[in-house]
Amino acid sequence: MLALAAAAALPALAPLAAQDDGAAAPEPALAVDLERGLPAWRAIVAVLAHPRCANCHVEDNRPRWSGPSYGATRAHAFNVRRGADESGFGNPGLRCMTCHFETNSAKPHGPPGAPSWHLAPAEMAWFGKSSAEICAQIKDPERNGGRSLAEIAVHVRDDALVGWGWQPGPGREPAPGSAEATFAAIERWSAAGAPCPEPD
Amino acid sequence: MRLTVDGRPIEIDAEPDMPLLWALRDLAGITGPKFGCGIAACGACTVLVDGQPVRACVMPVGAVEGAVTTIEGLAEGDALHPVQQAWLDEQVAQCGYCQAGQIMSAVALLAEIADPSDEEIDAAMGGNLCRCGTYPRIRAAIRRAARDGAGA
Repeated sequence: MLALAAAAALPALAPLAAQDDGAAAPEPALAVDLERGLPAWRAIVAVLAHPRCANCHVEDNRPRWSGPSYGATRAHAFNVRRGADESGFGNPGLRCMTCHFETNSAKPHGPPGAPSWHLAPAEMAWFGKSSAEICAQIKDPERNGGRSLAEIAVHVRDDALVGWGWQPGPGREPAPGSAEATFAAIERWSAAGAPCPEPD
Repeated sequence: MRLTVDGRPIEIDAEPDMPLLWALRDLAGITGPKFGCGIAACGACTVLVDGQPVRACVMPVGAVEGAVTTIEGLAEGDALHPVQQAWLDEQVAQCGYCQAGQIMSAVALLAEIADPSDEEIDAAMGGNLCRCGTYPRIRAAIRRAARDGAGA
Protein backbone atom coordinates (compact mmCIF):
# COMPACT_ATOMS: atom_id res chain seq x y z
CA MET A 1 0.00 0.00 0.00
CA LEU A 2 2.79 2.34 0.94
CA ALA A 3 4.64 1.60 -2.29
CA LEU A 4 1.51 2.26 -4.27
CA ALA A 5 1.02 5.54 -2.46
CA ALA A 6 4.60 6.49 -3.21
CA ALA A 7 4.21 5.71 -6.87
CA ALA A 8 1.04 7.75 -7.01
CA ALA A 9 2.32 10.64 -4.98
CA LEU A 10 5.85 11.16 -6.21
CA PRO A 11 5.36 12.56 -9.68
CA ALA A 12 2.80 15.07 -8.53
CA LEU A 13 4.56 16.06 -5.34
CA ALA A 14 8.17 16.50 -6.34
CA PRO A 15 7.79 19.91 -8.02
CA LEU A 16 5.57 21.22 -5.24
CA ALA A 17 7.91 20.01 -2.54
CA ALA A 18 10.90 21.56 -4.21
CA GLN A 19 9.09 24.84 -4.60
CA ASP A 20 7.62 25.06 -1.09
CA ASP A 21 10.45 23.58 0.94
CA GLY A 22 13.24 25.80 -0.23
CA ALA A 23 13.13 28.11 2.77
CA ALA A 24 12.22 25.57 5.44
CA ALA A 25 14.43 22.55 4.78
CA PRO A 26 18.19 22.65 5.31
CA GLU A 27 18.56 21.39 1.78
CA PRO A 28 16.03 20.57 -0.91
CA ALA A 29 14.30 17.26 -0.31
CA LEU A 30 15.61 14.71 -2.74
CA ALA A 31 12.67 12.39 -2.38
CA VAL A 32 9.38 12.17 -0.62
CA ASP A 33 9.78 10.12 2.53
CA LEU A 34 6.42 8.50 3.11
CA GLU A 35 7.53 6.55 6.18
CA ARG A 36 8.28 9.79 7.99
CA GLY A 37 5.99 12.16 6.17
CA LEU A 38 2.63 10.48 6.38
CA PRO A 39 2.62 10.00 10.17
CA ALA A 40 3.55 13.66 10.50
CA TRP A 41 0.69 14.60 8.17
CA ARG A 42 -1.75 12.52 10.21
CA ALA A 43 -0.76 14.47 13.32
CA ILE A 44 -1.28 17.71 11.43
CA VAL A 45 -4.64 16.87 9.91
CA ALA A 46 -5.90 15.66 13.28
CA VAL A 47 -5.55 19.29 14.31
CA LEU A 48 -6.76 20.97 11.12
CA ALA A 49 -9.87 18.80 10.83
CA HIS A 50 -10.70 19.06 14.52
CA PRO A 51 -13.91 20.99 15.17
CA ARG A 52 -12.05 23.70 17.08
CA CYS A 53 -10.29 24.57 13.84
CA ALA A 54 -12.61 23.35 11.08
CA ASN A 55 -15.79 24.97 12.46
CA CYS A 56 -14.51 28.33 11.24
CA HIS A 57 -12.76 27.04 8.09
CA VAL A 58 -15.95 26.66 6.08
CA GLU A 59 -16.67 26.87 2.38
CA ASP A 60 -20.02 28.59 2.68
CA ASN A 61 -20.66 31.66 4.76
CA ARG A 62 -21.88 30.03 7.97
CA PRO A 63 -19.58 28.96 10.80
CA ARG A 64 -20.52 25.64 12.35
CA TRP A 65 -21.19 24.39 15.81
CA SER A 66 -19.87 20.83 15.91
CA GLY A 67 -17.78 18.54 18.04
CA PRO A 68 -18.12 16.24 21.02
CA SER A 69 -19.80 18.83 23.22
CA TYR A 70 -22.20 20.13 20.56
CA GLY A 71 -24.45 17.20 19.69
CA ALA A 72 -25.49 17.22 16.04
CA THR A 73 -23.58 19.48 13.69
CA ARG A 74 -25.43 22.68 12.94
CA ALA A 75 -24.87 26.14 11.65
CA HIS A 76 -23.89 28.76 14.21
CA ALA A 77 -27.05 30.20 15.72
CA PHE A 78 -28.18 33.82 15.45
CA ASN A 79 -27.94 33.92 11.64
CA VAL A 80 -24.21 34.53 11.94
CA ARG A 81 -22.58 34.94 8.52
CA ARG A 82 -19.18 35.50 6.99
CA GLY A 83 -20.14 39.05 6.09
CA ALA A 84 -21.37 40.62 2.89
CA ASP A 85 -17.91 42.12 2.37
CA GLU A 86 -16.40 38.59 2.55
CA SER A 87 -14.12 39.81 5.34
CA GLY A 88 -14.99 36.94 7.66
CA PHE A 89 -15.75 39.39 10.48
CA GLY A 90 -19.53 39.29 10.19
CA ASN A 91 -22.12 41.81 9.11
CA PRO A 92 -22.95 45.38 10.12
CA GLY A 93 -24.94 45.14 13.34
CA LEU A 94 -23.69 41.64 14.12
CA ARG A 95 -19.94 41.20 13.97
CA CYS A 96 -18.12 38.13 15.25
CA MET A 97 -16.65 40.46 17.82
CA THR A 98 -20.08 41.54 18.99
CA CYS A 99 -19.96 38.43 21.18
CA HIS A 100 -16.44 36.98 20.85
CA PHE A 101 -13.97 39.07 22.81
CA GLU A 102 -10.27 38.48 23.43
CA THR A 103 -10.83 35.93 26.19
CA ASN A 104 -13.13 32.96 26.69
CA SER A 105 -16.30 33.46 28.62
CA ALA A 106 -15.88 31.48 31.84
CA LYS A 107 -19.55 30.49 31.81
CA PRO A 108 -20.80 27.19 30.37
CA HIS A 109 -22.10 27.83 26.84
CA GLY A 110 -20.71 31.36 26.95
CA PRO A 111 -18.93 32.57 23.83
CA PRO A 112 -15.29 31.58 23.41
CA GLY A 113 -12.81 34.36 22.75
CA ALA A 114 -9.46 35.14 21.20
CA PRO A 115 -8.02 38.22 19.51
CA SER A 116 -9.50 39.11 16.14
CA TRP A 117 -12.19 36.42 16.09
CA HIS A 118 -13.27 35.77 12.49
CA LEU A 119 -13.81 33.14 9.82
CA ALA A 120 -10.96 31.91 7.67
CA PRO A 121 -11.28 32.85 3.99
CA ALA A 122 -13.59 30.52 2.06
CA GLU A 123 -10.75 29.20 -0.11
CA MET A 124 -9.13 27.85 3.06
CA ALA A 125 -12.13 25.65 3.88
CA TRP A 126 -11.46 22.39 5.68
CA PHE A 127 -14.87 21.63 7.13
CA GLY A 128 -16.15 18.30 5.79
CA LYS A 129 -13.11 17.73 3.58
CA SER A 130 -10.97 14.60 3.51
CA SER A 131 -7.39 14.36 4.68
CA ALA A 132 -6.19 14.21 1.06
CA GLU A 133 -8.22 17.27 0.10
CA ILE A 134 -6.95 19.30 3.04
CA CYS A 135 -3.41 18.18 2.31
CA ALA A 136 -3.53 19.29 -1.32
CA GLN A 137 -5.11 22.54 -0.28
CA ILE A 138 -2.68 23.50 2.46
CA LYS A 139 0.25 23.19 0.06
CA ASP A 140 -1.43 25.38 -2.54
CA PRO A 141 -0.54 29.06 -2.03
CA GLU A 142 -3.76 29.97 -3.81
CA ARG A 143 -5.66 28.28 -1.01
CA ASN A 144 -3.42 28.74 2.02
CA GLY A 145 -3.13 32.50 2.19
CA GLY A 146 -0.04 32.61 -0.01
CA ARG A 147 2.13 30.90 2.57
CA SER A 148 5.15 28.60 2.31
CA LEU A 149 5.07 25.51 4.50
CA ALA A 150 7.56 27.21 6.82
CA GLU A 151 5.19 30.16 7.12
CA ILE A 152 2.26 27.87 7.80
CA ALA A 153 4.21 26.21 10.61
CA VAL A 154 4.97 29.57 12.20
CA HIS A 155 1.36 30.72 11.71
CA VAL A 156 0.13 27.63 13.55
CA ARG A 157 2.61 28.09 16.36
CA ASP A 158 2.26 31.84 16.87
CA ASP A 159 -1.17 33.08 15.79
CA ALA A 160 -3.35 33.86 18.79
CA LEU A 161 -6.63 32.86 17.13
CA VAL A 162 -5.13 29.54 15.95
CA GLY A 163 -3.74 29.03 19.45
CA TRP A 164 -7.23 29.33 20.89
CA GLY A 165 -7.91 25.85 19.48
CA TRP A 166 -5.85 24.39 22.32
CA GLN A 167 -7.37 26.69 24.97
CA PRO A 168 -11.03 26.72 23.94
CA GLY A 169 -12.62 27.44 27.29
CA PRO A 170 -15.06 25.45 29.39
CA GLY A 171 -17.08 22.65 27.83
CA ARG A 172 -15.18 22.40 24.56
CA GLU A 173 -12.75 19.68 23.55
CA PRO A 174 -9.39 21.21 22.66
CA ALA A 175 -7.60 20.37 19.42
CA PRO A 176 -5.18 17.45 19.91
CA GLY A 177 -1.59 18.07 20.97
CA SER A 178 -0.32 21.60 21.17
CA ALA A 179 0.68 24.50 18.96
CA GLU A 180 4.34 23.65 19.47
CA ALA A 181 3.81 19.96 18.65
CA THR A 182 1.86 20.87 15.51
CA PHE A 183 4.60 23.29 14.47
CA ALA A 184 7.12 20.46 14.88
CA ALA A 185 4.91 18.04 12.92
CA ILE A 186 4.64 20.50 10.03
CA GLU A 187 8.44 20.87 10.01
CA ARG A 188 8.85 17.07 9.97
CA TRP A 189 6.26 16.72 7.24
CA SER A 190 7.88 19.44 5.19
CA ALA A 191 11.35 17.92 5.60
CA ALA A 192 9.93 14.59 4.42
CA GLY A 193 8.72 16.19 1.20
CA ALA A 194 5.20 17.01 2.44
CA PRO A 195 3.52 13.85 1.15
CA CYS A 196 -0.25 13.64 0.95
CA PRO A 197 -2.34 10.52 1.56
CA GLU A 198 -4.16 8.92 -1.30
CA PRO A 199 -7.68 10.21 -1.82
CA ASP A 200 -10.34 8.23 0.04
CA MET B 1 -11.25 52.62 36.14
CA ARG B 2 -12.44 55.37 33.82
CA LEU B 3 -15.05 54.90 31.12
CA THR B 4 -16.89 57.25 28.83
CA VAL B 5 -20.53 56.29 28.81
CA ASP B 6 -23.18 58.17 26.87
CA GLY B 7 -20.82 61.09 26.46
CA ARG B 8 -19.99 61.39 30.15
CA PRO B 9 -16.81 60.26 31.91
CA ILE B 10 -17.52 57.90 34.78
CA GLU B 11 -15.21 56.52 37.42
CA ILE B 12 -15.87 53.00 38.66
CA ASP B 13 -14.11 50.61 40.98
CA ALA B 14 -14.25 47.32 39.08
CA GLU B 15 -12.08 44.28 38.49
CA PRO B 16 -11.08 44.10 34.80
CA ASP B 17 -12.92 40.83 34.31
CA MET B 18 -16.24 42.19 35.55
CA PRO B 19 -18.74 42.15 32.67
CA LEU B 20 -19.37 45.60 31.28
CA LEU B 21 -23.08 45.14 31.97
CA TRP B 22 -22.44 44.72 35.71
CA ALA B 23 -20.33 47.86 35.71
CA LEU B 24 -23.02 49.82 33.90
CA ARG B 25 -26.00 48.60 35.88
CA ASP B 26 -24.65 47.95 39.37
CA LEU B 27 -21.82 50.47 39.63
CA ALA B 28 -22.89 53.30 37.34
CA GLY B 29 -26.66 52.95 37.79
CA ILE B 30 -27.28 52.80 34.05
CA THR B 31 -30.04 50.23 33.97
CA GLY B 32 -31.27 50.73 30.40
CA PRO B 33 -29.22 47.78 29.09
CA LYS B 34 -30.91 44.61 30.32
CA PHE B 35 -29.64 41.33 31.68
CA GLY B 36 -31.15 38.44 29.77
CA CYS B 37 -29.06 35.30 29.43
CA GLY B 38 -25.57 36.26 30.63
CA ILE B 39 -23.88 34.37 27.77
CA ALA B 40 -24.33 36.65 24.74
CA ALA B 41 -27.16 34.48 23.47
CA CYS B 42 -30.10 36.90 23.55
CA GLY B 43 -28.86 40.43 22.87
CA ALA B 44 -30.82 42.24 25.60
CA CYS B 45 -27.61 43.74 26.99
CA THR B 46 -26.33 45.17 23.69
CA VAL B 47 -24.49 48.47 23.87
CA LEU B 48 -22.13 50.16 21.43
CA VAL B 49 -18.40 50.46 22.02
CA ASP B 50 -16.85 52.84 19.55
CA GLY B 51 -19.99 52.48 17.48
CA GLN B 52 -19.86 48.68 17.26
CA PRO B 53 -22.47 46.53 19.00
CA VAL B 54 -21.22 44.33 21.84
CA ARG B 55 -22.92 42.04 24.32
CA ALA B 56 -22.17 43.80 27.58
CA CYS B 57 -23.03 40.75 29.69
CA VAL B 58 -19.89 38.99 28.42
CA MET B 59 -17.45 41.73 27.47
CA PRO B 60 -14.97 42.26 30.31
CA VAL B 61 -15.02 45.89 31.38
CA GLY B 62 -11.24 45.89 31.24
CA ALA B 63 -11.41 45.12 27.52
CA VAL B 64 -13.45 48.23 26.70
CA GLU B 65 -11.51 50.52 24.41
CA GLY B 66 -13.56 53.45 23.26
CA ALA B 67 -16.71 55.28 24.16
CA VAL B 68 -19.71 53.29 25.36
CA THR B 69 -23.18 54.22 24.12
CA THR B 70 -26.21 52.73 25.81
CA ILE B 71 -29.92 53.07 25.10
CA GLU B 72 -29.88 55.91 27.65
CA GLY B 73 -27.52 57.95 25.51
CA LEU B 74 -29.41 57.87 22.21
CA ALA B 75 -31.92 60.68 22.73
CA GLU B 76 -30.83 64.28 22.57
CA GLY B 77 -32.73 66.01 25.32
CA ASP B 78 -36.40 65.34 24.69
CA ALA B 79 -35.81 64.39 21.07
CA LEU B 80 -35.79 60.65 20.66
CA HIS B 81 -33.30 59.02 18.32
CA PRO B 82 -35.04 58.18 15.00
CA VAL B 83 -34.80 54.47 15.81
CA GLN B 84 -36.48 55.00 19.18
CA GLN B 85 -39.18 57.12 17.53
CA ALA B 86 -39.73 54.47 14.87
CA TRP B 87 -40.09 51.86 17.62
CA LEU B 88 -42.88 53.93 19.14
CA ASP B 89 -44.52 54.72 15.81
CA GLU B 90 -44.59 51.05 14.82
CA GLN B 91 -45.62 50.00 18.35
CA VAL B 92 -42.90 47.38 18.26
CA ALA B 93 -42.70 46.35 21.88
CA GLN B 94 -44.93 43.82 23.53
CA CYS B 95 -43.23 43.07 26.84
CA GLY B 96 -40.36 45.37 25.88
CA TYR B 97 -37.57 43.55 27.64
CA CYS B 98 -35.43 43.02 24.56
CA GLN B 99 -35.99 46.40 22.95
CA ALA B 100 -33.02 48.25 24.45
CA GLY B 101 -30.71 45.70 22.83
CA GLN B 102 -32.74 45.51 19.63
CA ILE B 103 -32.59 49.26 19.21
CA MET B 104 -28.82 49.38 19.77
CA SER B 105 -28.23 46.72 17.10
CA ALA B 106 -30.52 48.60 14.73
CA VAL B 107 -28.62 51.83 15.38
CA ALA B 108 -25.34 50.04 14.61
CA LEU B 109 -26.79 48.60 11.41
CA LEU B 110 -28.14 51.92 10.17
CA ALA B 111 -24.86 53.66 10.92
CA GLU B 112 -23.21 51.42 8.34
CA ILE B 113 -26.08 50.74 5.95
CA ALA B 114 -28.44 53.70 5.74
CA ASP B 115 -31.13 51.88 3.78
CA PRO B 116 -30.82 48.19 4.59
CA SER B 117 -32.59 45.41 2.70
CA ASP B 118 -34.61 42.80 4.57
CA GLU B 119 -31.66 40.43 4.20
CA GLU B 120 -29.30 42.99 5.72
CA ILE B 121 -31.74 43.61 8.56
CA ASP B 122 -31.94 39.88 9.26
CA ALA B 123 -28.14 39.55 9.15
CA ALA B 124 -27.78 42.34 11.69
CA MET B 125 -30.60 41.42 14.03
CA GLY B 126 -30.31 37.61 14.24
CA GLY B 127 -28.56 37.79 17.60
CA ASN B 128 -31.30 39.82 19.26
CA LEU B 129 -34.08 37.51 20.36
CA CYS B 130 -37.64 38.62 20.95
CA ARG B 131 -39.65 35.95 22.68
CA CYS B 132 -42.83 37.89 22.07
CA GLY B 133 -42.16 37.43 18.37
CA THR B 134 -42.36 41.06 17.31
CA TYR B 135 -39.91 40.52 14.47
CA PRO B 136 -42.20 41.85 11.70
CA ARG B 137 -42.61 45.09 13.63
CA ILE B 138 -38.89 45.27 14.34
CA ARG B 139 -38.23 45.09 10.61
CA ALA B 140 -40.89 47.70 9.92
CA ALA B 141 -39.42 50.04 12.52
CA ILE B 142 -35.93 49.72 11.06
CA ARG B 143 -37.29 50.50 7.60
CA ARG B 144 -39.18 53.48 9.00
CA ALA B 145 -36.07 54.72 10.83
CA ALA B 146 -34.12 54.41 7.60
CA ARG B 147 -36.72 56.53 5.81
CA ASP B 148 -36.53 59.04 8.62
CA GLY B 149 -32.79 59.39 8.16
CA ALA B 150 -31.51 57.44 11.15
CA GLY B 151 -28.44 56.41 9.22
CA ALA B 152 -27.77 59.70 7.53
